[in-house]
Amino acid sequence: MFSRNALRAFRAQPKVHRVHAARALATAAESVPAPVAVPGEAPAPTPARSQWKKPVDNKRGEKDIVQTAVILNRSPTLSRTATAFERAYYSYQSRIQRALYNPLPTEFYFKPGSLLEGIFMKEENERERKAFGRPNLNPNFYKKEKAVELLPGQEEPPKLMPRITEADKKKDIKSLDRKGERNLYLLIQGKDEAGENVWRLPQSDVTETEVLYDAVQRELRSPYGFGMDTWVVSRKPVGVWRPTLPQDSADTRRFLFFYKAHILAGQVRPDGKSILDFAWLTKEEIEPRVDQYYWSGVKDMLSDF
Amino acid sequence: MSAAPAALKNTVKTAAQSAGRVAKAAQRTRWRQILERRAKALTPRNPLKRDEYGMPIPHVNVIVRDTAQPRLADHYFNTVRDDIMYMSYTHTPASTKPQRSIRPTYDPEDPYVKHRYNPPIGGHMAWTRKPMSPVTFDSVVELERIQLHTMVKETLASRSHLLGAIMAFRAISGESQYAGGQRTTEGVQIVRGKSQIQGWVRKGIPLGVKVDLKGPKMYEFLATLTEFVFPRLRDFNGLQMPRPGASLQTASAASGVVSFGLPASAMSLFPQIEYNLDSYPKSYGMHIHFITNAQGEGAQNRVRALLSGFQIPFVRV
Repeated sequence: MFSRNALRAFRAQPKVHRVHAARALATAAESVPAPVAVPGEAPAPTPARSQWKKPVDNKRGEKDIVQTAVILNRSPTLSRTATAFERAYYSYQSRIQRALYNPLPTEFYFKPGSLLEGIFMKEENERERKAFGRPNLNPNFYKKEKAVELLPGQEEPPKLMPRITEADKKKDIKSLDRKGERNLYLLIQGKDEAGENVWRLPQSDVTETEVLYDAVQRELRSPYGFGMDTWVVSRKPVGVWRPTLPQDSADTRRFLFFYKAHILAGQVRPDGKSILDFAWLTKEEIEPRVDQYYWSGVKDMLSDF
Repeated sequence: MSAAPAALKNTVKTAAQSAGRVAKAAQRTRWRQILERRAKALTPRNPLKRDEYGMPIPHVNVIVRDTAQPRLADHYFNTVRDDIMYMSYTHTPASTKPQRSIRPTYDPEDPYVKHRYNPPIGGHMAWTRKPMSPVTFDSVVELERIQLHTMVKETLASRSHLLGAIMAFRAISGESQYAGGQRTTEGVQIVRGKSQIQGWVRKGIPLGVKVDLKGPKMYEFLATLTEFVFPRLRDFNGLQMPRPGASLQTASAASGVVSFGLPASAMSLFPQIEYNLDSYPKSYGMHIHFITNAQGEGAQNRVRALLSGFQIPFVRV
């Protein structure tokens, strides 16, 4: 009975290709939503060989223009500043934690009556008071800058580095020290197809004998990129844009493949020939600088944060 | 003539005074009411019940949530996750041969076996041969928990030898049972013997301790490991990887867990311990397991890629 029914169950299923729960980033949107597997149901049968789609002709035509672009990223170097709501939430949770937790077994960590124990208890009292207040607490108590008295044996507390750097103050868009909390992307000024100066991501043409990844590496090792240590995240592109430009004939196909890379050290050295200028910018800062048509192809690959 | 207006004046004055007094009294009453209401709001109507130690039991179950944003979690969600997705993404054009679907053990249409556990055919190790599910933006490999584990041999003689290891694990992990009112936080647990081995282990006797780290504490531990322990560890080049041609279909390669051991000498490198190393009876080595959501053929390699995003080095021997 089993074998008879099992075969029938599998044959009855409609043709189902792959199971994709959601669309992956950097892929084209499907017009028909992919079927989702329901746990417990019979898996979709493998379609017969004749039912697969015929391979698309992927050969590069004579009039095809294939290019690669590099999304060269400087990742955030500082942790994000919490919003006012987050700060209030964390401080509230910290107070609950302080109220609920077992007290520290000081006799395990300090010799009874030692100097370090005294310092710790003093600091702990301060923290306790700061969290819960005390009777008749003067509201300006913690606003006053109190001179820190160092006890013998106590080290000077370390000073925090400023989160706003010189580059931020001077609005130096070429510096990699700017906007530590944000993702920065390299934008360069070069000549476009029509010979005009435009701002865009670094890009290069792919020759007939080259694979895409090699074109990216060639671009990153060009004279202006030679001063940088970079790491290209994957050998596969993260996205593609197929623009139609006014100067193209009807049968010209343009492909611009995007690769993500990180800068690890160094800086761009503009040579004045292939690139005229460069800038390290956040997503919002890129938009006004680039062509709107170009922006429509690029914006979804950049991080909002 | 003159007396009457004076009297009138007096009367008027007294009326004005009394009106003022009444207004002041009303104001005082209002203030008293406000203060009383405030005092009422501050004092609970019924005194809180007390537990066996005399501590008040709150009206609600108080649960401590995150008290800060973990830095490495931010790093994962902002940088590492995108990169891992791009690295592990497999492009499947329409012409790709679809994955072979494996039929379940029992016919799902058969009403007689409707509620029976119905795994795919291929035996109990079939999951190691199953390819990993395709990468999408919401199925990128992610760290679920880190488990620390140590066995203390002296416990076989006397179980009090476990106390030092328990204290060290509590200091390193910062976890305790039901900490912050969280039911699922198990804290440091005692590991007991599973089987009877003649002359060595008996079933059920305490052998060691383990602790599971999840959430912010997990990321804090990871930061401690890569910033304080690894840089100061002697003769440490990185975690060892298997030889290049090793099978990807073994249980260890497919279960999405990366494990390694730290020697006893590494315990003093944890800042929570090095402060008062003398308080511990001895140093303990430990096994560390990084447990993730990845599963399937070659999942361990993907976890290695994830961990290297947190600056954990790997070397091939």
